[in-house]
Amino acid sequence: MSDLSLHTGRSGPLTRLSDWLWRNPRMLILLLLTPPALWLGIIYLGSLFALLAQSFFSIDEFSGLIVYEFTLKTYGELFTPANFDIIVRTVVMAAAVTVAAALISFPIAYYAARYAKGKWKAVFYLGVMLPLWSSYLVKVYSWKLILAKEGILNWLFEILHMKWLLEAYLAIPVIGGNSLSVSWTGTFLVFLYVWLPFMVLPIQASLERVPTSMLEASGDLGANPGQSFRYVLLPLALPGVIAGSIFTFSLTLGDYIIPQIVGSSRRFIGQAVYSYQGTAGNIPLAAAFAVVPIVIMGVYLWVAKRKGAFDAL
Amino acid sequence: MTSFLKSCTALVATAVVASQSLAADMITEIGPGEGQVNIVAWPGYIERGETVADFDWVTKFEQATSCKVNVKTANTSDEMVALMNEGGFDLVTASGDASLRMIAGKRVQPVNIDLIPSWPSVDERLKEAPWHYVGGVHYGTPYMWGPNVLMYSTEAFAEAPTSWSVVFEETTLADGKSNQGRVQAYDGPIHIADAANYLMYHKPELGITSPYELNQEQYDAALDLLRVQRGLVSRYWHDAFIQIDDFKNEGIVASGSWPFQVNLLQGDGAKVASTIPQEGATGWADTTMMHAEAENPNCAYMWMEHTLSSNLQSDLSVWFGANPAVPAACTDGRGMQTAEGCTKNGMDEFERIKFWQTPVSKCESQGTCVPYYRWVSDYIGVIGGR
Amino acid sequence: MTSAVQFTGVSRHFGSVRAVDAVDIDIAEGEFFAMLGPSGSGKTTCLRLIAGFEQPTGGDIAIFGQSAKGVPPYKRHVNTVFQDYALFPHLNVRDNVAYGLMIAGRPKAERHRAAEEALELVALPGYGTRKPSELSGGQRQRVALARALINQPKVLLLDEPLGALDLKLREQMQEELKALQRKLGITFVFVTHDQGEALSMADRVAVFNEGKIVQVGRPEDIYYRPEVPFVADFVGSSNVLPPEVTEKLTGKRCHAALRPEALRISESGHVATVRATSFIGTATRVSLVMDDTPMVALIPKGQEIPAVGAQVNLSWQDEDLHLMEARS
Repeated sequence: MSDLSLHTGRSGPLTRLSDWLWRNPRMLILLLLTPPALWLGIIYLGSLFALLAQSFFSIDEFSGLIVYEFTLKTYGELFTPANFDIIVRTVVMAAAVTVAAALISFPIAYYAARYAKGKWKAVFYLGVMLPLWSSYLVKVYSWKLILAKEGILNWLFEILHMKWLLEAYLAIPVIGGNSLSVSWTGTFLVFLYVWLPFMVLPIQASLERVPTSMLEASGDLGANPGQSFRYVLLPLALPGVIAGSIFTFSLTLGDYIIPQIVGSSRRFIGQAVYSYQGTAGNIPLAAAFAVVPIVIMGVYLWVAKRKGAFDAL
Repeated sequence: MTSFLKSCTALVATAVVASQSLAADMITEIGPGEGQVNIVAWPGYIERGETVADFDWVTKFEQATSCKVNVKTANTSDEMVALMNEGGFDLVTASGDASLRMIAGKRVQPVNIDLIPSWPSVDERLKEAPWHYVGGVHYGTPYMWGPNVLMYSTEAFAEAPTSWSVVFEETTLADGKSNQGRVQAYDGPIHIADAANYLMYHKPELGITSPYELNQEQYDAALDLLRVQRGLVSRYWHDAFIQIDDFKNEGIVASGSWPFQVNLLQGDGAKVASTIPQEGATGWADTTMMHAEAENPNCAYMWMEHTLSSNLQSDLSVWFGANPAVPAACTDGRGMQTAEGCTKNGMDEFERIKFWQTPVSKCESQGTCVPYYRWVSDYIGVIGGR
Repeated sequence: MTSAVQFTGVSRHFGSVRAVDAVDIDIAEGEFFAMLGPSGSGKTTCLRLIAGFEQPTGGDIAIFGQSAKGVPPYKRHVNTVFQDYALFPHLNVRDNVAYGLMIAGRPKAERHRAAEEALELVALPGYGTRKPSELSGGQRQRVALARALINQPKVLLLDEPLGALDLKLREQMQEELKALQRKLGITFVFVTHDQGEALSMADRVAVFNEGKIVQVGRPEDIYYRPEVPFVADFVGSSNVLPPEVTEKLTGKRCHAALRPEALRISESGHVATVRATSFIGTATRVSLVMDDTPMVALIPKGQEIPAVGAQVNLSWQDEDLHLMEARS
């Protein structure tokens, strides 16, 4: 027997280090996790808490200077009609975008998960991901051109002799407007387009994990396709839908660029934060506004958990 | 947490005060250049022929002085103030809302105009403008100014509109259709000043003396006017290029605007023109200011002289659709600008322009005014339909 | 009496692949019917045709005399125990079992009672509140069974239901399934690739190969009287003698089957060469070559094992040589 049967000839500091880490796997995990944990802890949570702290200060009515004393006054200001409008407007928009994205994404994701094979699967991924590759701003500006009064969509309606339909729609208060590009419908459409991939992909992933036999078993036990969808497919895909809705909902809650370019100039939360922290110097109110989406998302996740959305995980 | 933040603020304040006292004295003579000068500027303000070859007012300066010009662009006044607070810059092209803040915060130092040979050529109207001349001290050299004009479609208006009423009140335009949905307004709280300016002319009983200094009653009247305007405006404009697009594709026929958009649209063949109606207009004026702890003061002074004496004033006024701080630049052929061009950009309208400044609660004209942070929240409310 | 399930010339082609090709089956009511065959032989497709998950491309399927053409799975009185059990992970055991009743719109109390009864039937009383993920493989199998039985199907389809269980559990479940079938009197159609399972449980066995049924019959017939070499080989692991060898031995030119346990090594007989030997517990398996034909013999415990390479003599009783004259 060779003397080297247990110890190979290799040695050196790196080898010794890997030997030592092999014997102490916990140290390896510690080494791997410390940098990201520090990043998350200090940079991310730190800034979050700084923000939170700011929201408990207030701005002095006369001097416009920040008063560094604990108060809930700033949160109270969120409930003034103009500010509360902003919150309601943003939440309604985010909810509408999320529901519409889920409705549109489900069939697409279902097709991709169940039927698309080989080449078509590649086409699906390309189709869903392609919009993500181009610049966000370019997409939003192109939508502005599509929706404009003298834009492509209007032209299309005109060619089809359906302009009366578009005009009747735009005459509806709140969702209508002078043209699609200055209406809420326009903002909604652009949000929907821009965030759609974030809904399609999680749903597709969750649907792929549902075995075909699950649906067959449901049908076998007497459930028609509608019932199978309601009682089996939807509950099993729900974590994916929830994951997607977290993306679309929170992205819509926080976005401040789309409503600035397409829509009626009525503010959304992101824009409010942007203008209050700017020249206005009203950082407490900006911080309080920034807390709103965090609270809403927290409540949303809590309700989803309570309703059993994550039971199939 | 509160006390911690407080003490931090106190610490910073102390440090700022301490360093100010050191830099308070003005330079009395210009030494050799330090080799570079670092400038915070608006986009498009300092061009070295890289965007369009004809527009270059840096290369010659660098050759003549061997001061390398480093530019950091900033998109908002807040960004400018923040960059100057960080330090590491020598100069900034500050607008009226930022300049007074920086003077008050002692972020910029007094400028010795005796060291700038071309100072006498500066527009008399700007030499002691209140946004850079404070307490008998000059805090910079005027750079460029421009009015917020009324841009209108020559198809919808047979003649230039004589009043801002076309964007404030519902009227039937020359083409027989209402202006509802066909006019725009600026998507920023400063637009309240435009409304106040309009009221200053039409409702003298309110006693407005400056559109930037409004008491509660005057302010409420301006907001009421803006609520009427909300019914006419489909979308407020924020970005110059979006407004250009709206005039082309959204059927917009009138809006407050900058000569910049007017020039670009006219260059594109669009049927638009601009005017300054009877009520006068708001406007902006920028100043080159010097950082309190500028590391390259000699090059900075050389650059300030260069901004006034070279082709810069003339070519930049063409490039930006603005007015030079040196009137001679319109006519003496140092650059591309001509007398007609300056007239088009509003050079002769100076007296009718109320230059942009930050509304503060302690105002000169009437003691207590509505401060800017309330302009922000209330304008958001008005746009939101409140 | 009508047949429970009747296939008349049923085919299911996937493009050029003939998964099921012109199959005729007649399964009687109350019968325990096994479909046996290697993977890809079409047996599972046949089961899915009965369940309605697949539609035939040719022929007709009748369930209790009614044509199943165009009838979706959820309208068939047929239930399935899936190979992977297909329990719903988001529901607990009780809701899984009661799923069919919930779909049928039965009240909650009735559903819970029926589910508990079904769980008792499969020897899992009181397991209702657990999640499928908390159960062992055998328990899941029973839950799947209880779920399939709750709608009181006329035909129960079982797709390799014991495939994932270990040997001991499998043997136990075989007995239980058979007892259950006898107790309930439902028609069971059982798909398996394990000939032991098929032979021990079924009343009748259909052997599948390449999309066709090659033999249907009682287990003894399949085992002792294979009609084709494939059945002899696949079901009984018999030695299949080619026609030339059979002709030399009997004068008849056809394939013949010779069971390994029927072979003996003796003083006189047919000369063969030992290739390999392997000990398999109750016996030793000896591989030989006789007349260029590979053969296997099982030598019971206690007898002398020949050395590899040795020349031995093979003998058997004449009645053990089964001639496959019918279809060779």
